[in-house]
Amino acid sequence: MAMQPHSKKRVCYYYDSDIGNYYYGQGHPMKPHRIRMTHNLLLNYGLYRKMEIYRPHKATADEMTKFHSDDYIRFLRSIRPDNMSEYNKQMQRFNVGEDCPVFDGLYEFCQLSAGGSVAAAVKLNKQASEICINWGGGLHHAKKSEASGFCYVNDIVLGILELLKYHQRVLYIDIDVHHGDGVEEAFYTTDRVMTVSFHKYGEYFPGTGDLRDIGAGKGKYYAVNIPLRDGMDDESYESIFVPIISKVMETFQPSAVVLQCGADSLTGDRLGCFNLTVRGHGRCVELVKRFGLPFLLVGGGGYTIRNVSRCWTYETSVALGVEIANELPYNDYFEYFGPDFKLHISPSNMSNQNTPEYLEKIKNRLFENLRMLPHAPGVQVQAIPEDAVNDESEDEDKVDKDERLPQNEKDKRITGDGELSDSEDEGEGGRRDNRSYRNPQPRKRPRLDKDVSQLKDEIKLLSAEDSKDDVKNISSAEEPKKDIAPNP
Amino acid sequence: MSDCALVTNVSEHDASMDVGNDKSLFEPTVDMMVHDFDDERTLDEEEALAAGEQQDPKAELNSLQREGDMPLEELLALYGYDRTMDKPIPQEPAPEVVPEEPELKTESALQQLYSETTSPEATRCLRSGSRPPSEEEDDYDYSPDEDDWKKTIMVGSDYQAAIPEGLCSYDDALPYENEDKLLWNPCTLDEKVTEDYMRKIGAMSSTTGIDAVPRGKQLRDDEEALYLLQQCGHNVEEALRRRRISAQTPAHASLWSEEECRNFENGLKAHGKDFHLIRQHKVRTRSVGELVQFYYIWKKTERHDIFANKARLEKKKYTLHPGHTDYMDRFLEEQEATGAGIVRPVSPTPMMDYAHSEPATQPDPLALGEKEVFSQLNAHTPPPRALSMEDQEPPSGS
Repeated sequence: MAMQPHSKKRVCYYYDSDIGNYYYGQGHPMKPHRIRMTHNLLLNYGLYRKMEIYRPHKATADEMTKFHSDDYIRFLRSIRPDNMSEYNKQMQRFNVGEDCPVFDGLYEFCQLSAGGSVAAAVKLNKQASEICINWGGGLHHAKKSEASGFCYVNDIVLGILELLKYHQRVLYIDIDVHHGDGVEEAFYTTDRVMTVSFHKYGEYFPGTGDLRDIGAGKGKYYAVNIPLRDGMDDESYESIFVPIISKVMETFQPSAVVLQCGADSLTGDRLGCFNLTVRGHGRCVELVKRFGLPFLLVGGGGYTIRNVSRCWTYETSVALGVEIANELPYNDYFEYFGPDFKLHISPSNMSNQNTPEYLEKIKNRLFENLRMLPHAPGVQVQAIPEDAVNDESEDEDKVDKDERLPQNEKDKRITGDGELSDSEDEGEGGRRDNRSYRNPQPRKRPRLDKDVSQLKDEIKLLSAEDSKDDVKNISSAEEPKKDIAPNP
Repeated sequence: MSDCALVTNVSEHDASMDVGNDKSLFEPTVDMMVHDFDDERTLDEEEALAAGEQQDPKAELNSLQREGDMPLEELLALYGYDRTMDKPIPQEPAPEVVPEEPELKTESALQQLYSETTSPEATRCLRSGSRPPSEEEDDYDYSPDEDDWKKTIMVGSDYQAAIPEGLCSYDDALPYENEDKLLWNPCTLDEKVTEDYMRKIGAMSSTTGIDAVPRGKQLRDDEEALYLLQQCGHNVEEALRRRRISAQTPAHASLWSEEECRNFENGLKAHGKDFHLIRQHKVRTRSVGELVQFYYIWKKTERHDIFANKARLEKKKYTLHPGHTDYMDRFLEEQEATGAGIVRPVSPTPMMDYAHSEPATQPDPLALGEKEVFSQLNAHTPPPRALSMEDQEPPSGS
């Protein structure tokens, strides 16, 4: 396979051993225990010792109100199972009670989840790590003043806000089966965060994520929604994920990426309706990792918890660039993984309602939107000079985005020039910060894994030719190593 | 991340009820709904469900297949992408073929649909036919209007995050005060050295009791030992020395006593999985968090099997009030969904062998056997945060 070998990265992992002890309530599908199951698998696979391990600080109310409203956070701090009756009105107002129940330690749970993502973002900002993982985060539905879809505090938004201190543009990708509405909404009107969500759409929670929702104001065209139907399999998913993400990288040129790895897009999920395997899901991690940008991985949904822990364990190994056996090691929760006790899972025989034609149409439509970026009418283009995108390949590797210092950045934002009019297809217009890959300046950060244009070719090749083989590999649970080349 | 996965089917249930012509048809559903409303589906049951799904009625597949064969424009149109919709919709794909059909069906169509579900030849079965009905009744919002499921992203200062202009720098101050605690940093040591260290640690503890159980060739990570090594500045000898000292003073503080186990089980009987209530009324010696942790290990042990069987037998002595929610009853139903193929340890010992893997937080689930759940390292090396009641008690100031 034309795959780049996994490359070694410094990986930081954020975990608090208490996180598995929070319990949403009888009958509730969200089980923080899955994070502990993942952790236990990591230990037993011997992956733990390869990472820098942190127990994250508990995010304070001050940190949370960087996004959330004061009222809402005050409420979350005060509410307890034994005083709920005094808070009826607020519970309604903040949508707490049903999907988002009040449980013991609710606020602490939020603190740990958010603390992990914020800490991870800081770590990336300090360039002390290339990849950070917080499986306790990813709670993408939480709104500024409202809980939603089992999420209370939006750790992702807090993490991205932190990244924005050091990064002009941050890309958010969401592969949860549900639309990443909380994150999209938080950044709906900014051009500094592009949100890209792949999700089931149509009579499905949360009901947002239409193809035509593209952002507003300055943020127009900076929200990308890929509405999908039931039964997405590995092959289809990759066939849409690869071109969209490649194009987004090319046009938006982020300097940091956050990937929400909601595992409810796996086959057999209690609430989901896709048909991805652990391999297909993990493939997204692999593809994003290859762009070599500072990378924050967070958890999210996932309600068949044995598969969630399989998935996040595998994705941790992908982040590390380490192969792990398909045979699960003995672990505290070994019983949960019967009857096969394997890492990888097989897809079901459910039909895939996403035809290639349908996916193609969506893709083309989204490409049209992305083409709008440099040409976007009116003010917003002026406001974002060098950002926006331009021509293909070439330029986007270079990228020492991290190297841009704050002042540089501001200076650069002041002027505008003709490059903005370069269409994306018209050869190589220069970017304003024309640090090219070939003419690298001193870097503070290890450079990209490889030239992005090369990478892109590879990916195209991959999706065009290798995808069939790949799918075969993916469905073969017995051969875990097949698509993983040896480490360099 | 919410419970609306089956809205399509669900709304049909409800729409049918609204029609109201034939209420008796639907009473069982309501009943089941009430009965199962708050039912916790365990992994076992989920497994059963997954299996069930694979045998989903062909009928559904057929209809999906037919839909798959529809012209693309139509499919897009169903999604509301009317851009390419210049052709009229052909007559053939009637509403019943199209699961996503957003329009509310007419009475007769609904009734027909419902009667169809009882026939094996139905062109389109509801998923409830192949799943426990409770599955979709959990918590959904039924919306009578076709597009009510659609929500919009709101714009305004009440919704968007405030993004400070430009970039900034931390200088020396972190943006938050509390410290992220470094538990292990692999960078300074060669991997081989680390592995060797862990083997020695393993050998040290394997001389006694339960740890003598062989572990296979996989070298598992010992959080606690790695943390100790980190504390000792990656000095292997020092870490081993401290470990040896601490090994002589085992701490059994977090082992569960037989009484606690029994109280826990009684609590489960009385309150279901409301760990808050169990803690309040039955196991005051443990935090809610510890109960949850204990529960997830306990439920896969023989002790749980015995508990479930015993409760099942007792159950038979009493007649149930229909419709009355009974935690034990519900609990047992879950257990019955357990696949027969699940292998259980004959004794819980293997579980315990690993139970000490989570330093300082893993209470021995069954309080059998001699083993340090964690060692008192020494004054300089407090173990990672131990569970304590305070840890679990909300609210906590921040």
